[in-house]
Amino acid sequence: MSYVRALVASAWAGWQRDFGWTNPIAGLSLKTIGPIASVLAASTVYWLGSSAARSFDPTNLAYILVGAALYAHVAAYSWVPSLAITEGKWSNVFTQVYISPKSSPPYLAGRCLASFATSAITSGGSLVGASVISIYLFNTGLPFVLTPVSIGLLVVALVVNIFASMGLGFLLSAYTIFATKFEWALPVYVSGLLMVFSGALFPVTLLPWPVSAVADVLPFTEFIRAARVALIAGYPGSFWYYLGLSFVGGLVFLVLGLAAYAAAEHRARRLGVVDRKAV
Amino acid sequence: MRASLWLRTAYARMWVRTKSIYGEPLWVVVTIGFPLFTSMALSLLYKSSNASQYTGFAILGGVMISFWGNVLWSMASQFMWDKQAGLFEVYITSPAPISAILVGMSLGGVLGTAPSAALVALIGWALFNPAISPAWPAVLVVFTLTLASLYAMGMALSSLYLVYGREADSINEALHEPVSFLSGVYFPQQMLNFPAAVQIAASLIPLTIGMDALRRTLFSGEGLQQISFHIGVLALMAAVLLVLSQKMLKLLEERGRRAGTISVRIR
Repeated sequence: MSYVRALVASAWAGWQRDFGWTNPIAGLSLKTIGPIASVLAASTVYWLGSSAARSFDPTNLAYILVGAALYAHVAAYSWVPSLAITEGKWSNVFTQVYISPKSSPPYLAGRCLASFATSAITSGGSLVGASVISIYLFNTGLPFVLTPVSIGLLVVALVVNIFASMGLGFLLSAYTIFATKFEWALPVYVSGLLMVFSGALFPVTLLPWPVSAVADVLPFTEFIRAARVALIAGYPGSFWYYLGLSFVGGLVFLVLGLAAYAAAEHRARRLGVVDRKAV
Repeated sequence: MRASLWLRTAYARMWVRTKSIYGEPLWVVVTIGFPLFTSMALSLLYKSSNASQYTGFAILGGVMISFWGNVLWSMASQFMWDKQAGLFEVYITSPAPISAILVGMSLGGVLGTAPSAALVALIGWALFNPAISPAWPAVLVVFTLTLASLYAMGMALSSLYLVYGREADSINEALHEPVSFLSGVYFPQQMLNFPAAVQIAASLIPLTIGMDALRRTLFSGEGLQQISFHIGVLALMAAVLLVLSQKMLKLLEERGRRAGTISVRIR
């Protein structure tokens, strides 16, 4: 029970960190503008390329809109545990977390969950916003299925994907706890790698083997596939099959992440580098 | 004496910034991530759309987005961070001219970003080998003027960011992608059906004019004469933004002195 309280308190701290300086509407709007533009940039590249090749297909445009919005969603909250450590070292919050009765994993998980909530709202907003603008800019329809069932399935997929994203967050944190220099580069690497290797913008088969084989089984790839099945009319495959793969992969990621973080934390305590800011 | 002080200040600020990059070559790893992955992903997207001839747009976009990122994160918000670290007080109480500090910071920023931008270009060209038809003198002139106007915009923004506290990061994040989308960093934005007001707003961003001119000179072989309008506009933008940044900085510094907020580190 006390772990749940620690988790909730940490999630609240994360929410305050993101929106304490403004009201939530202004904060969420600022956080949505960027993803809308990012999704639009990807869809414009597709529209321009496919129009030149006379192969434009609204289904492919929908494929890119969903993929671009969701990879950004994963990237936005999976690195937050790592950010919580980096920021926490400089603001001395992380040291306080260490000396509190609970250890740091509930704190990092809570921060991650707060960011998940924010990112789910902003990525949903960016998908809707970018889709509406795309319809106007490219003068086309989009084969989205917008029913309570399809939206419900998307929400289920978003929730199931938390395991994989949190697992990735703990894996990154295992590095960040020792890092004093390049930890600020992590978000762009997480985002960039997901953009290329999660089938967000193009099929992973386009990547060279064996990279394509690894990308094909990543839980993030399966999550985006499941979301596409839920939202795009006629998109091939089974929602529950892809979601099952995403869930299993997510559990593997989470177990690996927690184990790596526990080992890193243990070592960091022994070496006395928990509050190290510079080498 | 005044000119000598200005030059020495600019050199000193440039040296610090350049040294911070070249003194730790692994820093390139940090700055190259976003532009490299984005240009790779969008090149692959062009390729998967059967439009390999456009992959060069994505690579050029990756090169220029490196500089835009530097302008936002290391120019616009730099004074805000300097204020938090207590350095800004040192700047304004010393005889060093603020304009020299800004220019030095810009030159250091360009030199510091150059390695990652060059690597994006090299890796992109090696992987996708896009067709180019460059008019090199025109490319060089446009590239220089685009950077000059872009960093002048960074100077103007830096004065604005002085009045912000924690919200500066959120504003940077909110500006980064929309500006690169409206400017058509990865595609010719004139081909989009933007409303006139949006088109006009986009034209006020130096990156929009610069990207268009760079694509024309690099991929269509247009020379100095064909892009003279772009050159004129970029030069004008650089000059106006430079003057504007001086005026705004003076104004906000004065306001900060009167309100007693100039040394308030965290709001």
